[in-house]
Amino acid sequence: MLAALTGFAQGTFASRVEVAGDQVNVTREIDGGLQTVALKLPAIVTTDLRLNEPRYASLPNIMKAKKKPLDVLTPDALGVSTASTVKILKVEAPAARSAGIKVKSVAELVEKLKNEAKVI
Amino acid sequence: MAILVIAEHNNVALAAATLNTVAAAQQIGGDIHLLVAGNGCGALSETAAQVAGVSKVLLADNAAFAHQLPENLAPLVAELVCGTSPAAYSHVLAAATTTGKNVLPRVAALLDVDQISEIVKVESPDTFQRPIYAGNAIATVQSSASVKVITVRSTGFDAVAGEGGSAVIEAIAAGTDAGISAFVGEELAKSERPELTAAKVVISGGRGMQNGDNFQLLYQLADKLGAAVGASRAAVDAGFVPNDLQVGQTGKIVAPQLYIAVGISGAIQHLAGMKDSKVIVAINKDEEAPIFQVADYGLVGDLFDAVPELAGAING
Ligand SMILES: Cc1cc2nc3c(=O)[nH]c(=O)nc-3n(C[C@H](O)[C@H](O)[C@H](O)COP(=O)(O)OP(=O)(O)OC[C@H]3O[C@@H](n4cnc5c(N)ncnc54)[C@H](O)[C@@H]3O)c2cc1C
Repeated sequence: MLAALTGFAQGTFASRVEVAGDQVNVTREIDGGLQTVALKLPAIVTTDLRLNEPRYASLPNIMKAKKKPLDVLTPDALGVSTASTVKILKVEAPAARSAGIKVKSVAELVEKLKNEAKVI
Repeated sequence: MAILVIAEHNNVALAAATLNTVAAAQQIGGDIHLLVAGNGCGALSETAAQVAGVSKVLLADNAAFAHQLPENLAPLVAELVCGTSPAAYSHVLAAATTTGKNVLPRVAALLDVDQISEIVKVESPDTFQRPIYAGNAIATVQSSASVKVITVRSTGFDAVAGEGGSAVIEAIAAGTDAGISAFVGEELAKSERPELTAAKVVISGGRGMQNGDNFQLLYQLADKLGAAVGASRAAVDAGFVPNDLQVGQTGKIVAPQLYIAVGISGAIQHLAGMKDSKVIVAINKDEEAPIFQVADYGLVGDLFDAVPELAGAING
């Protein structure tokens, strides 16, 4: 959505990102495998868990961060509305699955799948 | 008012999930138009015209749509919806696949509405059910948006027939390349087995498989059952199998007739992708493994004994 509003290109589900000059090549994890797109910068990239190992903040950096100036913006000041058109009517637990039975052998499993569950 | 469904395809064939998305559109009710935006997809539009329940196929055949890049496709959809006054469509639907999830938010932003994601049930034209917290709760949501932009989880809807319909085909002369993105290439997994999300039987392996070669055991069993093979994230991350096999919260959502989990512990993120399967079988050597809490049939034992034995038993 941000990419649409800014008019930037987008690379979602990124598992590999390579910047080359004024463009970025993004490899995306898609249902059928991998897709690579070349995006003009600036671009918006959303990542998959496999992209990288996160870099954790070190204690000295956390201390330093505390001294950094912090600008607080509000939607009002920016003139944007955050009102939602979606109202949650209710939230329920999904139909629960209960544990079934433990079978003692492969033969018993096959028998149950054939005659009880009728799925094979 | 009419409903616009964005067809997912590779310019040659429709993705199965499109048929589930049309089914959701039917439950909303109204004229259903199917947008086939691609390149060299004239023949495909004729296939699309046979999809049951569709009254019109909109064919946008242009090089800019060859790979359904969202930067080019989203403006077309927004124009189709809002180019006229009043808006031509009340709803825009796409499958909640990596393609639909890539394009539809961009459409929603262009239309300045919230997206309603991954619906599993239609209660009325403005009220839907969708899973939240990785499927641990189901929310019923009502939308007051002028145009409802919705992704559809295919496991919630039985596919409509791919044949028997007779929609009119209308070619639309549209398509500009936004010039900010380009397709470079893709590596698609090739498999003789059924597609994971459409298979009636799915056999998934986890870290317990130990390595990629051992997945052969699952492939042999799968071929006897006409099954697709999936995997847990741990198996994918360990490099046993490619990522497109991953089932779960951050992988594919499947709901086959039979799901067999082999050497998978049953982490909540994995269950999110398969707990709506009709019958679940778990094979695990740890009798305390959480997977047994959702399994209809649990077999406590070593998978390296059980899987070959199972394959043998099914043969006979
Ligand atoms: C944000 C996020 C998203 C995630 N998304 C997903 C997702 O989409 N899909 C997913 O699967 N996971 C996902 N995970 C990871 C998830 O939390 C688990 O780590 C993962 O599912 C574990 O995989 P596993 O069951 O194969 O491995 P393990 O938990 O290591 O389980 C292996 C099992 O194999 C059994 N076993 C070992 N050897 C044998 C043998 N010889 N015979 C029989 N049984 C044996 C063991 O008893 C054990 O139960 C996600 C995690 C996070 C944080």
